[in-house]
Amino acid sequence: MVDQQLLIDEVKKVVSRDDVKYVIGYKKGTTGFTISPAFAYSTEYADKFIFNPLCKKNLAAYPLLEDKLPLKREEKEDKRKIGIVAKGCDTRALVQIIQEKGLNREDLVIIGIPCSGVIDYKKITAMFPNETAYSTIEEEQGFYKITINGKVHEIAKEELLADHCTSCIAPNPVIYDVLIGEEVEPWDLEEHKNLDVLEEKDVGERWEYWKEHFDRCIRCYACREACPLCYCKECMADLLNPQWIRRSVNLSENTAWNIMRAYHLAGRCVGCGECESVCPVNIPLMELNKEIEKDVKNIFEYSAGMDSEEKPLFGTFRPDDPEEFIM
Amino acid sequence: MTATETNSEMEEFEPNIIGFLCNWCSYAGADLAGTSRIQYPPNIKIIKVMCSGRVNPMYVVNALQQGADGVLIGGCHPGDCHYQHGNLLARRRMAILKNLLEFIGIDSRRVRMTWVSAAEGRKFAEVIKEVTEEIKKIGPMKDIQRVNEW
Repeated sequence: MVDQQLLIDEVKKVVSRDDVKYVIGYKKGTTGFTISPAFAYSTEYADKFIFNPLCKKNLAAYPLLEDKLPLKREEKEDKRKIGIVAKGCDTRALVQIIQEKGLNREDLVIIGIPCSGVIDYKKITAMFPNETAYSTIEEEQGFYKITINGKVHEIAKEELLADHCTSCIAPNPVIYDVLIGEEVEPWDLEEHKNLDVLEEKDVGERWEYWKEHFDRCIRCYACREACPLCYCKECMADLLNPQWIRRSVNLSENTAWNIMRAYHLAGRCVGCGECESVCPVNIPLMELNKEIEKDVKNIFEYSAGMDSEEKPLFGTFRPDDPEEFIM
Repeated sequence: MTATETNSEMEEFEPNIIGFLCNWCSYAGADLAGTSRIQYPPNIKIIKVMCSGRVNPMYVVNALQQGADGVLIGGCHPGDCHYQHGNLLARRRMAILKNLLEFIGIDSRRVRMTWVSAAEGRKFAEVIKEVTEEIKKIGPMKDIQRVNEW
């Protein structure tokens, strides 16, 4: 559990530096258990910064959204840094973006937060469907203590923990400039829920499973927008010539889109679970991502977002890559 | 497009196979098979690409959507690539793509990769024979058929 005052003090310290433009962090949302991103341009904004187990949102996408307007005559480029409050998986996303040269490490001030798992928003709203506000939420020895209207609810951690957190390989920030609080102990990794059940099925049954999910897809592309690593200026799904994916929403095109999305994150997905949590029709996208992550780990012994000096997975090769599938 | 539903038609099922062959080795190998008059099944429709590393995984997915029952990617033997290592990059991509398709429920035997050099006309014919027979066994691909033709 992170000391809120420590976080606020640190954000104040960072934002008052001359070479920092603003700091991105979390604040309480307007209703229920929501969390909003917060931007501190000066020290007085820093007071509303929080960090609690509800802060699931991966903020690594925000520094990429920075507008680079054309400069006016004799105007100097704003080269100040951006501060960012980042959990373990957020720093992995940042490392991956830095590895792909999407951001420069020098342009970031990373305030690292050791994280012991976050709460799945869908699970907590299912548990308290009618609550519009909470006062505090704390983690204590395997329990979440949630205070609502003066009443304390104690709920076992497993009931609320987001699914992707069970297989998290980096609870502590991979890179940081400032670390808040003590590093946490990594926990025993579990396989992503449902993955081995699916793997045991035969091809036809798996298709029946995915067909049902892909049929529901409305192609809102929320998964793409929320993903910190889907930051291409022009997405292949939006191209008209060649049109890789037709605009119509049907099983064929939905399948092609979902294959494309999952494939483009092969060896890049850091497992933050954003895509799945924003999906309006609850497609288990993390199962696709985790399956690829597992294959990449088994075949190429590679994990995304752990080392910014490493070459991207598909940009390199080894002479002894397996090729038993080749005739 | 072969819409085969009944068993009697199933026996006559002739698969459509799209072959992405690299300009320097596999395509020349196919050429050699032709000039040497080696018989091989006519089910393969060849698209020449400059290198097997040019094959975007979406080519494979789109081919399967648009009526192909199988896709074959042909490249040079490792070390022989005209562009130094294009085929080795393709090898990595296809390994992951095959696993992903298998996981989604599309039989990964539909997507095959082969190394055929310019001198291996006979090997090319054998590969085509093997792929055609295997895809005949799997049956037509109708799960993700593209419906809108515009």
